[in-house]
Amino acid sequence: MLRVRATFKKTGRAKYISHLDLNRCMLRTFRRSGLPIWYTEGFNPHPYYAFALALSLGFESECEILDFNITDDNMSMEEIRDRLNAVMPEGMGIISVAVQEQKITAIAKAEYSFSLVADDADKLMEDINRLISGDEILIEKKTKKGIKTVDIKPDMEVISCEKGEGSVNIVMRLPAGTQTNYNPTLFVEALKNSGAQPFEAEKFVRRAILCEDDSIFK
Amino acid sequence: MELKDKIEKHLLDVQKPSRYIGGEVGSVTKDKSKIDVRFAFCFPDTYDIGMSHLGMKILYSLTNERENYWCERCFAPSEDFEAIMRENDIPLYALESLAPIRDFDIIGFTLQYELSYANILNMLDLAGLPVFAADRGDELTNIVIAGGPCVCNPEPLADFFDIFVLGEGEEVNLELMDLYWEMKQQGATKTEFLRKACHIEGIYVPRFYSFVYKEDGTIDHLVVSDGAPEVIRKRIIKDFDSVYYPENFVVPFTEIVHDRVSVEVLRGCIRGCRFCQAGFIYRPFREKHTETICRETKALCENTGYDEVSLASLSTSDHSEIDPMLTELINYTAAERINLSLPSLRVDNFSESLLEKIKKVRKSGLTFAAEGGTQRLRDVINKNVSEEEIMNTCTIAFKGGYSAVKLYFMMGLPTETDEDIVGIADLANRIIDLFYSIEDRPKGRGVQISISCATFVPKPFTPFQFEPQDTREMIEHKQKLLLDSVKTKKIKVSYHDPNVSQLEVILAKGDRRLCKAIYTAWKKGCKFDSWEEYFHFDKWMEAFNECGIDTSFYANRRFEYDEILPWDHLDYLVSKEFFVRENKTAHKSVTTPNCRLRCSGCGVNKKVGRECFAESKSNV
Repeated sequence: MLRVRATFKKTGRAKYISHLDLNRCMLRTFRRSGLPIWYTEGFNPHPYYAFALALSLGFESECEILDFNITDDNMSMEEIRDRLNAVMPEGMGIISVAVQEQKITAIAKAEYSFSLVADDADKLMEDINRLISGDEILIEKKTKKGIKTVDIKPDMEVISCEKGEGSVNIVMRLPAGTQTNYNPTLFVEALKNSGAQPFEAEKFVRRAILCEDDSIFK
Repeated sequence: MELKDKIEKHLLDVQKPSRYIGGEVGSVTKDKSKIDVRFAFCFPDTYDIGMSHLGMKILYSLTNERENYWCERCFAPSEDFEAIMRENDIPLYALESLAPIRDFDIIGFTLQYELSYANILNMLDLAGLPVFAADRGDELTNIVIAGGPCVCNPEPLADFFDIFVLGEGEEVNLELMDLYWEMKQQGATKTEFLRKACHIEGIYVPRFYSFVYKEDGTIDHLVVSDGAPEVIRKRIIKDFDSVYYPENFVVPFTEIVHDRVSVEVLRGCIRGCRFCQAGFIYRPFREKHTETICRETKALCENTGYDEVSLASLSTSDHSEIDPMLTELINYTAAERINLSLPSLRVDNFSESLLEKIKKVRKSGLTFAAEGGTQRLRDVINKNVSEEEIMNTCTIAFKGGYSAVKLYFMMGLPTETDEDIVGIADLANRIIDLFYSIEDRPKGRGVQISISCATFVPKPFTPFQFEPQDTREMIEHKQKLLLDSVKTKKIKVSYHDPNVSQLEVILAKGDRRLCKAIYTAWKKGCKFDSWEEYFHFDKWMEAFNECGIDTSFYANRRFEYDEILPWDHLDYLVSKEFFVRENKTAHKSVTTPNCRLRCSGCGVNKKVGRECFAESKSNV
């Protein structure tokens, strides 16, 4: 049995597919591909596949991870990729297929890019810098036990923050995986609450899923 | 800003956004510049419901087979998105091109149920089109048409449409589009087009017909103009086995009501239940061969990736090859780990081995549409389900581990008395007794009987088309009586809102004078009337009042046999004489055998020009 890890993109109109719907969508994609995917052996056998991380509705991604098993040991990774790509919905596509190397628990962070559109981008840039250079960035996070105030500053890595045409474009890394998950919208909320220039956040893209040492999760 | 960007700007603010942006697997996109005729197939309800509709899937694929025609889908937006659309000047658009449907040549609605009528007006308005046909000008564009079962009495919507398409659409839709394209090239006007179109069989152009009423409100006579035919006959597909069936469906991302492959196994019905409109308007009975059904099932499962398939028909058990068909289907679905669902299947006369196989795939509960509480009433409505059959099937089911039974009834049926209502509770009690009399019944849990009661709605083109509906007071009395007759918690009773059924009958049996009232009700905010939370009976009644319409004239009056009915100029192949005869037979509590057993002379065979069943005469 081949333990396979596929990296796929979810772009364009596919960003409106919710995580729950993506599950169903992938099941049908597998069925259309006719790939010999491994079924669980319980009372109610179903094809086994798992997504490494959930992606927020409306986010695009270039690096989603999907694990599944193929019962035919002789099948090439290229064939698996091509057969899936032939039947994928618009906006989705397999970028690469390889044998699973690391455990899912090795995932530590994810890198996101997004744009903040404002009438006065210079002013917004100042507001952002003020927030980033402060001692803490407090956000309210919903947990199972209720609303908790968390400081995301220690775990947030700003990779770039550049002024574009009427916008500020940000790339940042945030904790992801089985332990802590921070969504970039938390930062956006914090920025809004800090009394920044009015702005609209758009074009959220997950660009990479990373391990603790910043290497790409494989 | 392009419409797509405008839509996307707001899409994350609404529930289930994937309903509004298209791009689903199986959707058909074409190059607009190479298209001659654009068709917007509109379903007057939300995506979740409309996408479940089989007729749309068939006609969508069929039209798109033609290179120069493009059929796209369009649904009613939910309230949240409608508000955004109106606020931001987003006109109603089709999902494939994301282009406004007001740019389309033909805008086609399917009329599946009366309570969707107000949605049609709302959708036309959202599209930026005048709702009244007379206000849409004479340029040959935006032809607004409708098809589907409710078109058998389209008069309450006559003022809003240019064309009604009667019967099955597989052939006539393309004929209509061909004529449109031909005349479009000639630079014809809309009127010129309609004058020609009305001579295609199945095409009804309401503006060429007007009604003259008597003083008592009934119809005196019909005036036909512009050389249109006196009678419009519905279309049928003669060779049903080889009729076009899609090899692919649009596979939605979000969950829809019927989220599975659906394969049509037969059309029409041999049963002749006297309340059932579908049982008459889809005649004659025609079926597909096992081989065809299996081929279509396989193609659809492979192309869509669905892991569930369901057989579509009015009564699958009446298929003449039911045993070999199910055997072959189950062999395929079991091997492919596909779930085969068999709704409303009578299992009484199957072979042992097939029964075993069905048990393995069947997950649904035990349901009987008994419709009437006593044998006498079931004879009146010609529902040929005997108590013995119900008990026999329950016995088999209880022994097989079932402990819940669902029973469907109608309330307010013709000739119904209090005895028939009490009979509903009695029948349920006898099923409970049966359960406890069985030695090897499921242990550890009690039996549960669910009774669901709908209010009877007399419909056009049925033997009960002449019948009045019970008044609200009568229905309330019967509901109370039923509740009082049920003395155990093992029986649960639920019933429909009688107000909904009253509106249904008014719209179903109404005439052209209702158009104004539907318009008024929509103006008052009525829409999504089939959704409990949106149904405003008071607004509808206000609308009828303001338009001077006495609702009891349509709902609670007996229509005379010799009265000209609003749908008498439409020919659904079954003769009016037959409906009169069947109505009289009903009032004598006498049943009529099913068509396969003996031909009852409904008239369809004469008009189609062939017998419905080769063996039907020798069986007498």
